[in-house]
Order: sequence, then structure tokens, then C-alpha cells
Amino acid sequence: MSFRSWATAALCALGLIFGAVAASAQKAGGTLVYIVQPEPPSLASFLSTSGPIGLVAPKIYEGLLDYDNELNIVPALAESYDVSEDGKTITFNLRQGVTWHDGEPFTSADVQFTVMEILSKVHPRGPNSFREVTSIDTPDEHTAVFNLANPAPYMLRALSAYESPMVPKHLLEGQDPRNSDLANNPVGTGPFKFVEWQKGQYIRLDKNEDYWREGLPYLDRVVGRFIPDASTRTAAMENEEVMYGAFGAIPNIDAVRLRDTDGFNVTTDGYAMINPMALIEFNTTKPPFDNPALRQAVSIALDREFLIDNIWFGYGKPATSALSSNFSATGLYAEGMPNYAPNSNVEAAIAVLDEAGLTPNADGVRASFSLDLIPYGEDWRRAGEYMKQALAEIGVAVDLRYEDVPTWLKRIYADYDFDMNVNYFYQLPDPVLGVHRHYGTDQIRQGTHFVNSSRYSNPELDALLSAGAQEADAAKRSEIYAQIQEILANDKPVANLFEMEFLTVYNEKLKDHATSALGSYGSFAEAWIDD
Amino acid sequence: MSHFARRMRYVVKRLLQAIPIVIAIVVLNFFLLQLAEGDAVDVLAGEAGSATPEYMAELRAKFGLDQPLPVQLAIYLKNVVVFDLGYSFRHEMPVSELILDRVVPTLLLMVSTIMLAVGFGIVLGLIAAISLNTWRDTAISIFALITYATPLFWVGLMLIVVFSLNLGWFPTSGMENFAMFYEGWDRVWDIAHHLVLPTITLSLFYLALYTRLMRASMLEQAGQDYVTTARAKGVTENRIMFVHVLRNALLPVVTMAGVQVGALIGGSVIVESVFAWPGLGMLAFEALFARDLNLLLGIFLLSALLVVAVNLVVDLIYSSLDPRIEVS
Amino acid sequence: MTFWKLFIRNRGAVVGLGILALITLMAASASLFYPEDPFSLAGQPMSPPGENGFLLGSDSLGRDVAAGIAHGAKTSLLIGLMATIVAVVVGIVMGALAGYYGGAIDNLLMRLTEMFQTIPSFVFAILLVAIMKPSIESIVIAIAVVSWPAVARLVRGEFLSLRNREFVQACHTLGMSDIRIMLGEILPNCLSPIIVIGSLMVATAILIESGLAFLGLGDPNIMSWGFQIGAGRTLLRSAWWVCTFPGIAILLTVLAINLVGEGMNDALNPRLRERT
Repeated sequence: MSFRSWATAALCALGLIFGAVAASAQKAGGTLVYIVQPEPPSLASFLSTSGPIGLVAPKIYEGLLDYDNELNIVPALAESYDVSEDGKTITFNLRQGVTWHDGEPFTSADVQFTVMEILSKVHPRGPNSFREVTSIDTPDEHTAVFNLANPAPYMLRALSAYESPMVPKHLLEGQDPRNSDLANNPVGTGPFKFVEWQKGQYIRLDKNEDYWREGLPYLDRVVGRFIPDASTRTAAMENEEVMYGAFGAIPNIDAVRLRDTDGFNVTTDGYAMINPMALIEFNTTKPPFDNPALRQAVSIALDREFLIDNIWFGYGKPATSALSSNFSATGLYAEGMPNYAPNSNVEAAIAVLDEAGLTPNADGVRASFSLDLIPYGEDWRRAGEYMKQALAEIGVAVDLRYEDVPTWLKRIYADYDFDMNVNYFYQLPDPVLGVHRHYGTDQIRQGTHFVNSSRYSNPELDALLSAGAQEADAAKRSEIYAQIQEILANDKPVANLFEMEFLTVYNEKLKDHATSALGSYGSFAEAWIDD
Repeated sequence: MSHFARRMRYVVKRLLQAIPIVIAIVVLNFFLLQLAEGDAVDVLAGEAGSATPEYMAELRAKFGLDQPLPVQLAIYLKNVVVFDLGYSFRHEMPVSELILDRVVPTLLLMVSTIMLAVGFGIVLGLIAAISLNTWRDTAISIFALITYATPLFWVGLMLIVVFSLNLGWFPTSGMENFAMFYEGWDRVWDIAHHLVLPTITLSLFYLALYTRLMRASMLEQAGQDYVTTARAKGVTENRIMFVHVLRNALLPVVTMAGVQVGALIGGSVIVESVFAWPGLGMLAFEALFARDLNLLLGIFLLSALLVVAVNLVVDLIYSSLDPRIEVS
Repeated sequence: MTFWKLFIRNRGAVVGLGILALITLMAASASLFYPEDPFSLAGQPMSPPGENGFLLGSDSLGRDVAAGIAHGAKTSLLIGLMATIVAVVVGIVMGALAGYYGGAIDNLLMRLTEMFQTIPSFVFAILLVAIMKPSIESIVIAIAVVSWPAVARLVRGEFLSLRNREFVQACHTLGMSDIRIMLGEILPNCLSPIIVIGSLMVATAILIESGLAFLGLGDPNIMSWGFQIGAGRTLLRSAWWVCTFPGIAILLTVLAINLVGEGMNDALNPRLRERT
């Protein structure tokens, strides 16, 4: 691994940002009301990666690093970092003069405490992201040295405000982090301070006057509003009561309409870090889906473009492999995988079934099973209704099931009482973070959500997965992942459907709201309103 | 014994009777909710993205969900006796605080809706009854039926489209303007402004019921013997209608209004959802799907107390409207 | 004059009966006109009414709205009728016993009724459906469970006020059995409010089903008007026909049921006869 230092580059980048600030006509002031849906359970982003928490908390907390729209690393609380030759030591040089919202200074002790005591212990993904971190040294107040057992190149992708928020040691030390007052009264270093949370109505954040980025934020106030009904959210957007709604808060059909309306626009930027994938999980341990032929046939029989065009109104890309094509930037994505086609091929699917001996019975039915649908909105119901019809074409009878969230979670991940389940996963910026959990034998963890519920176990694949996690050489790594994708395309414990494109709908008066790869999980520090 | 003392004794007796009933309701609700699959920890862990079984076990222990059911129930009942409704698993706040926050918005919506629906219902029903079998009668019947038969969310969304988006008269949703945060009288005015559309939507639904009940009831009373007697005595038609008949015809309307007060808290889930109104209906709805059982039990307990109280009041009004019904 | 003669004198009631007969006919003959599964993807999605061979247009997946309405009629009528019958029967039994006997029985039954009423009814219905998992059966049960207390309270009120009337006292003197007095003498005298509330209840049941579907608690495998409205509501601004036609179907059905109920009420109400 080469020695990298880009403190100078970072300074240049900062200079560019501030140069731009001076050059254009950003207006300070104003209140941005945006949609937060659903209402978050708390604001403890160090405990939960729940979507709505991500819409609010990164305005208050910050991470060591941030990522621009091209996924380049940009400085945040760390001004710069150095990775040692062997990749086992990473030194972060922290920004000076940063204070918490309560006035205490932000120091390396906060970083050490956050990573070692909080994120590695109680964060849902932290133990994975920081699994190689053995200790953190704090030679002075503004230097934090991460000591790693093995190189962990993916870790530098997991240091955003959303993924790994830095939390104040002085308010959490000696307490149970799961029971702390910080959950409902967050104190961070970010551009906005928490003011008030009226349950069922809104969360109000006001400008942090002492923010370390000179002249920022522009907005005086940011208010996250909760509006349960999708059609009302659209109406509120049209009526200019809210100016911004992300993660499909405005249904695609309305987004398409607003895109063509003066004063509003739609963007798919800001979701590169989460990399969402719609998919089907098969229960590979019991009939009928213990038979890989049926899993392949289902994947071939479904028309991915129909789903995208008619249910998601054109937003999305047919899946072509176990990995999203977004991984082609890092060379991990492999093209030309079998059993993935954008359109359905009924004959081919029937041929697969015939060959496997799944022939029709007296009623013309080759297999019958139930299809569970992720209870996260109407679109998934439509998808299930489509699939039921499409699978009838190949002689497969489907019974749809749409239950509430707790019932569904328990059925799929605790009781394994399902045949086929429609779901979506975040593949995140590296397969180790978002994809491995689906397939590894060590990820068959009864009672844990969003892991290997197919209970697929393949020692050959397990070996490749652990090799892929530690391989530092890009070419070798991409070779390993090509093999992984080949195996998964044939075995199909999971059939990916399409790479989702979430939509952010916004009022065009709102400017510079998408300056980071995190999109709506970013900070709004540079956002401003042009009245 | 004086009339008043008899009344008081009746009220006290009913209240004493209510105590075991309320306890029975709490116990029943407690077991009813246990029938739902999954628990609050499943939901929290599912939302968090991923959580280890150990973490989930810790959370269950923290919430007391690892205890046997009878123990959980006993602890809950013990707390309820001292008016402690416990802690919401999801919101990490005392249940009573969460509920209190929603009581005012709920009452605002409920009271204005009932007033509008009962008021207009009585007037329309009266007009329909007086002009029986004329075009006015038919028009009122059809109007009431159409407002009733149109799905609530459709009415709500259409009112938003017409009055918020096209005419710009009212805000689409919410209880206040969250960009301005008005204070004082401006705030009162702002809230009233936000209240108009949800109130109209919800009262349109109940209007039909009161209109029809009032009409049927008026006709029923108009055929009674005492009307014939009054007529024979030479009492004017107007006096018969507006004093004797009206007074008795209100009886079923009052009953229904009483029954409805309880229902209105729950009946407004859809209106609260469409208008993002921060009422108890949505709170209960969300609590159910988050398996926040303490919160749901708290809401049900409040609603139980409300119904018991309303029923008592209805019975009292009943007996003063119709002296033939004795209170004991 | 017979009941029927009185009934057909009410023009609204006759119209209502006609509409109701048509809807029943439509439900019965749905498979004749639309032999395909109403969920089948019949053609071009989002076709406006009259285009691409869709009489009432198609929805976002290209399903025929008209086919859905025809097939959905069966489900919606069934839900409405079944739930109402259960609720009215239970309500009358409870209310009559409580009102007629009074005292301890009244107390017991009314407290029981109150217990069912203490949970806000729509939330209760949602709760029951969530517990039993969304299906047609669970929806019917849930609607019946939340509907009967209103009938019981109404019937009790009527019985309370009628049981001291002269004609009831006379029946006692004649030595009639309690059951005969309740069913043969008192019940017919309070039928009109029961019919009013019962007819509204069929309609309410159909509306509750659509409300449950709106909140995502419908049976995903069975076509009903509620399902269509639930599936079409996000299209309201872009494809009005998807949700409007089933809405009109509900409206017409509810209207018809109520007109018939009103006609029966007028025809049954003995005191109205002298006036008209």
C-alpha cells in the first residue's frame, strides 16, 4: 500500500469551496422546512442507522470525514489523515478550535471514546466497520492514531456523519449509551443545534453561530416535519410548506409530475453511499426453494423493466449481478452474469423448470408458495401483485402476504417461516459493509435482522468472502469478487431485482442542498434559500 | 330523599362500579395486545439496521419484556394505581407526557367536529322532517348520504387540492406554521386556520348520521299520542314541533353523540394521517405498529376512562330528557 | 295497506332497490363478463377510460378497473352484509336482554358493552386485523366486533323506554312469555332506528374496509373496492379514474342501501301511516 498524504490537496479543496462562497451570491437567513418521514424513534445516530434518524442527526453531529458527489474523501472533523505503508496505522489530524454545542472543546479523546466505547460496541454497523481497530492513541488533543490488526481499506468509507458520528465524551462517559439523555437532546459539533422536538409534528434545529466553517451555515433554522400521508406530502411540497423531501418521501408518480412543474426539481444524487438494491430472498432450506432451479426460474421469469417502469416510474436500473453496477468504479462489479436479464423470458424459465423435473400437476401448477412483501409502502405491494401474475405465466401459484413490520421481521429473520420474500438492502460503498451479510455462513444469525435469512451456506463462497475482505490489491480483489458473483448468479440464494434510485424532490428556491455524497444524510451546511 | 341526593348517590355508585371495569379493561387490553406478533425490540432493531441477539436481549431486559406475562401485568397494574403509565419503549419518554402532548390537538379536532356535525345534523334533520317528502327533504337526504359515503381520505385530499393548492385559502397540513413559530394570538389564529379543513372533513362523515337520526326521531315523536293530545288542546303546530317533539327527538341524537365521543379519538386516524394532525389516533396507530405496548395501553386506558365518564353523563342527560327512565 | 305497497310508494326507495339489484347482479355475473382474474395485467398501464379497450381505464399495472369493480362488488357486499348481520344480531340480543330485564343483567351486559366501546373503534379494528393478519375473514370479524355495541346501546335505550308502556304492561297481564313480548311486541316497535342504524352499518362496513385498505391492511389476494381505492390513492392526481370509479361504486351502493333502509323505515313505522 502506498503512503498517502493529501493535506495540501485538502487545503486546496477547502480553498476552492470558500472561494466559491465568496464568488456567488449565497443569501444568508431563512428557515428550511423539509420532510422527515417517518418520525424517527430517537436522534441517537450512534445507536441506530434508522433512515429518519439519518435525515436529522447529521445536521447536528459530524464525522471525521465526508465524501463529495464523486465519492472523493473530503475533510470534516479530521483536516487530514495518513495511512502507514503497511496499512495498519491511520493517523487523523483533527481540526482545531471546534467546540460542541454546549461550548466544550472537541478533542482526540472524543474520537477515541466514540470509536472504541460507542461505535464499536453499540452501533449496528460499527463493530463491522471498526473490527480491525485494536486501539486508538491520542498523542495530543488534535491527533488520533488508529491501530489496526489488519488493513481495512473499507473503513475510510465509513467515517461520515451519518455512518460514524462523533459524540461528546463528556456527556456520555460513565453512562449507559443506550439510556442516555443525548438520544432526545443531541449535542454535536455540526452546523445546526438541536432546539425542540414536538412529537408527531416537527424537530427544530437552529443555526450554530460558533460553527467552525467560517460563514456557514447560511440557514437560520432547519425544521424537519412529519407528514404521514404521501399525497399530503406532495401537496405540502406544491404549496411550499416544505421545500425538500428525500428517500421517496414524495411518491415517484408525483415526483415525475413535479419534475415537469415550474419551480420544482428532482434529483437522484446523494444516494451513492447507500447503494440500495431491491431483491428477493429465497428460503433455501425448505421446499420448494431448496431447489436452485426454481430460484433461477423466478429470476428469469420476472420482468425487471416492467417493475421499474410501472411501479417506480422509470427510476432504477435492472440488476445484473449480486453486486450493484455502482461497484464498477472500484472494479468489483462483474458483467455478464447468468440468470439476470432486464426482461422476462417465460420459455427459458419453463425450460429450467422442466429440466429440473418441476412439471405441472393436474391443475397446471408446478409449485406453489407464499410471497412476503416488505411492509414499507404501497410500491412493494404493487411489485408483489405484479410478481404473482408474472409467476402464474410459468405455472407457479403465489399467495401474497403483507403483514406489519414486527410480524414480518419476526417471520423472516427469527422464525424463518417464509418461502420467498421481497426486500431491499443497502449495499453501501463496499461489499464488505453491505453485501457480505447476505451470503456468509457466519451471517446466518437467527433473530438478527437483514442478514442471511436464506440460510445459504457454501464453504467455497465463505472462503472467497473472507479473502475479498482483506485483499488490498485492487486487481486481485476484483478477481475474487468476479468469482463470488459467478457463484451467486447460479446458486441464487438471493435474486437481485433492480438497483433502486431514490428520489429527492425539492423546491428550486433551495440551492446547494446536495453538496455531499450523503445527500439528505448530509448536513445542509451550504444550503441556502433564494427568495 | 331529595332528587339531587338520589342523583349524587347514583353518580357515586356508578363511579365505584367503574373501578373494577376499568381494571378489567386494562387486563383485557394487556392480553389482547400480547396476541400481536413481535415486540417493540424487533421494531427498534429492525429500524436500526442490524442488531445482535445479545443487544436485543438487553433491550428486552431494559423494557421488562423478559419477565413472565403475569409479572409484567402485575407491575403495570401496580403502576397504574398510582397513575404511572410507564415509559414508552420507542420514544424513551413517559407515556403520560406523550399522551398529554396529544390531548389538546385531539380535543380541538374532536370538539369542533362534534359541534359542527351535531349542530348541522340537528338543523338539517329538523328541516327534512318538517318538509317531509318534499324536494328539500330529498336533497338533504342525498347530500348527507353522499358526504357520508365518500371515503374520508378522498374528501380530505380533494379539500386539500381545492382549498389549499388551487385557492390557497388554507394550509395543507399540520397544526401550525413551522417556518414562523407564531406566538400569542397569532398562534391561536394560525392553529384555527390549520383546523378548518380537518374539521370539515371529519364532520362531513358524521353529519349524515345525525341528520338521519334527527329526521327519523322527529317523525317518530310526531306520531306519538301526546302530540295528538297537544293538538287537540289547541297548542300551535310550531310549539308542538319546537318544544315537545324537538325535546324528545333529541334523545337518540344525544345517545349517539355520546357513543361517538369515544369513537372520535380512533375514528380520526385517517383524518389525522391525511392532514398530519398530531392527534391520539395517529399516536395509537404508530404505537401499534411499533409494538409500543405501554403507550398503546396508556391511550386505551385514557379512552376507557373517557367512555365511562361519557356514558355516565349520557345516562344522566337521558333521564332528565325523559323522566320515564329512572336512574337507579 | 301491506308493507310492499307502502314501500313502492316511496320513489327513492324503489330507485335504491333498483341500484342495489343491479349491483348484486353485477357481483353475480362478474365472472361472466370478466372471466379473467381481475388482478391480471390486461394491457397498457394507466389507460384513461375508453382507451385501449378499457371501459373505465386501467391502473398503474394495467389492470382493468371495470373488471375490478365487477369482481370487487362481491367482496365488498359480502363484507358489508356479513359484518352487519353479525353485529346487529349480537347487538339486539345484548340490548334487548339488558333493556328488558334491567337491574343486574342490564348492569352486567352494559358494562360488557362498555368494555368493547372503550377502545376507539377504528383503532380497535386496525388492532384486530393486525393481530389476526389481513384477510377477508379477519376484516369481517373486526368490523362486527367494533360495530355491535352501538346497536346494543340503541336497542337497550328503546327497550328501556318501551317496557313500561301500557301495551307492554297489557301483554304481561295477558301472561305472554318474556321472549314473546321482547320479540313480538317491543322489537317491532323499535325496528325503525335499528333499520336506520343497520343500513348505515352495511355502508360503514364497506367504508371501514376501504379505510383499512387505505392504511395497507386489506387482503392482498382478493379484489375489493377498498383494495382498488387503496391501490389507486397515490394516483389520484395523475390517473383520477383508478380510485374514482370504485369510489363511485361505494357511493352508489351506500346510497342505495340507505334509500332502501329509509323506505323500509317509513313503510314499517306504523305511526307514519296515518300522516301519509
